[in-house]
Amino acid sequence: MLLVTNNEKVRDQYGSLCTLQFVDGGHVDVLTHVRDLVHSGHKLLTHPLAGSVKPNETPFRSVALTEEAGPLDLESLDLIEAALGVCRQFKPRFHRGDDAPADMREDFAEIDFRLIHGAIAPHLQKGE
Amino acid sequence: MRLELGEIHISDIKLGDCSKVENGTLYVNVEELRALLLEDEDLASVDFEVVHPGESVRVLPVKDVIEPRVKVEGNGGVFPGVISKVGTVGSGKTHVLKGCAVVTTGKVVGFQEGIIDMSGPGADYTPFSKLHNLVMICEPKEGIKQHQHEHAIRMAGLKAATYLGELARTLTPDETKVYETSGVMSGKEKYPDLPRVGYVLMLQSQGLLHDTYVYGVDMKRSMPTILNPTETMDGAILSGNCVSACDKNTTYHHLNNPVIADLLEQHGKTLNFVGVIITNENVYLMDKERSSDWSTKLAQFLELDGALVSQEGFGNPDTDLIMNCKKLEAAGIKTVIITDEYAGRDGASQSLADADPAADAVVTGGNANMVIHLPKMDKVIGHPEAANIIAGGFDGALEPDGSITAELQVITGATNEMGFNKLSAR
Repeated sequence: MLLVTNNEKVRDQYGSLCTLQFVDGGHVDVLTHVRDLVHSGHKLLTHPLAGSVKPNETPFRSVALTEEAGPLDLESLDLIEAALGVCRQFKPRFHRGDDAPADMREDFAEIDFRLIHGAIAPHLQKGE
Repeated sequence: MRLELGEIHISDIKLGDCSKVENGTLYVNVEELRALLLEDEDLASVDFEVVHPGESVRVLPVKDVIEPRVKVEGNGGVFPGVISKVGTVGSGKTHVLKGCAVVTTGKVVGFQEGIIDMSGPGADYTPFSKLHNLVMICEPKEGIKQHQHEHAIRMAGLKAATYLGELARTLTPDETKVYETSGVMSGKEKYPDLPRVGYVLMLQSQGLLHDTYVYGVDMKRSMPTILNPTETMDGAILSGNCVSACDKNTTYHHLNNPVIADLLEQHGKTLNFVGVIITNENVYLMDKERSSDWSTKLAQFLELDGALVSQEGFGNPDTDLIMNCKKLEAAGIKTVIITDEYAGRDGASQSLADADPAADAVVTGGNANMVIHLPKMDKVIGHPEAANIIAGGFDGALEPDGSITAELQVITGATNEMGFNKLSAR
């Protein structure tokens, strides 16, 4: 599994458990990086718009993809393009959370961590 | 299954030293209720306020809204698997305190949301402004983590609603409604010429603050399954969803699901309401594929001619919604989806994050991005500063005079995707 995140909390927890690419940027930067990975043949494993915290509000995003690259997966491409489309539609409120109050930043990081943890932990336990 | 819902009409709530219902007034002994709730060691304090329709009061951030009920006859108890033992509910007799609700509020995380205005323009957008509400302000002990805090508030709401519901046990209902459902075979024999219609009820299940519980089971860990419609009326489905105030389904919505009520109303007249298929909205894409496969497979098992699908939330669940719709239509089951829209402040943008030509019959609950202005209220219960940082609020949302400019999505229940409100579009 290949995990892409800009959330230090996710990096600290999962950096040693799977292949992790840390994006030093905002939510849109993560999705753009994921789109590039999809173009190079990685397939999405989790939805790029996880959570009902609106994409323009949460500064953090973590997305899981297949570690191996294969032929371009059109469904993954549709999903990531639609996610980027939503981000273009709604201007981000916080870039990396540095501009958000500290306790809120921690809350956003915790929610992002919990959502991706709930989604990938069962699969990592199975060794995927 | 046959369920009698005995409604006791509540026209007032008063705080006092004895809990009882008398002449339509619900009296609450707050000290007794507080002592019960503070048995939870994660809670530091619980305070109570009563708010009535028409008052100049704003409540925020709202977590859940719960209608008090009690099981009087029949198997099981309300909120099975969480408050009562896990026995199957949905038959016998249940009493309801109609016209009132328990409203829980608390700041679990910094960006929490959910406004109920009891008067003014905001009141028109939430069904809960029409109820007499017992508002509970629950504060956690120092050092409690977000997930413990959420759990403590959720349980406090359910315990309070159960405590109040119990007061209705021996009362004579003002009005009784009877709901009767058929079995799969008996329904077919009874109504051979009516179209067989099912309801696919999508439940939020993505993780912390995004969860729903069915008989105590976290829905993200369940495969789609079938419920008898009346089970929902006894609290088989409980909300642990604290995000997206406008289109989350509170426990009150689950207890009073309007899709179920309307389908039961038409059962045996214009259609044969076969059952409810509950499914989840998970983050992992394989889960989405599996769950939409299964909801369609169950619909085929039930030999449905038509299905209604209701969504909860926005963004990621749009994918589940469209997967469900596409697969049901491909199986020859005519499908109507109920959703809401994030179409931008001018309403001109794409409404959903996913779409498909198979989704050609859509009911909308309104545009959550519409900007509204909520005038100052004389009293604010909860955390007014949350207005600046709740979803749909933006910097400067809370004006110096106490008024709020924000998107409609800040209001609890405003664009509910079960259709439990008044907004739509043609």
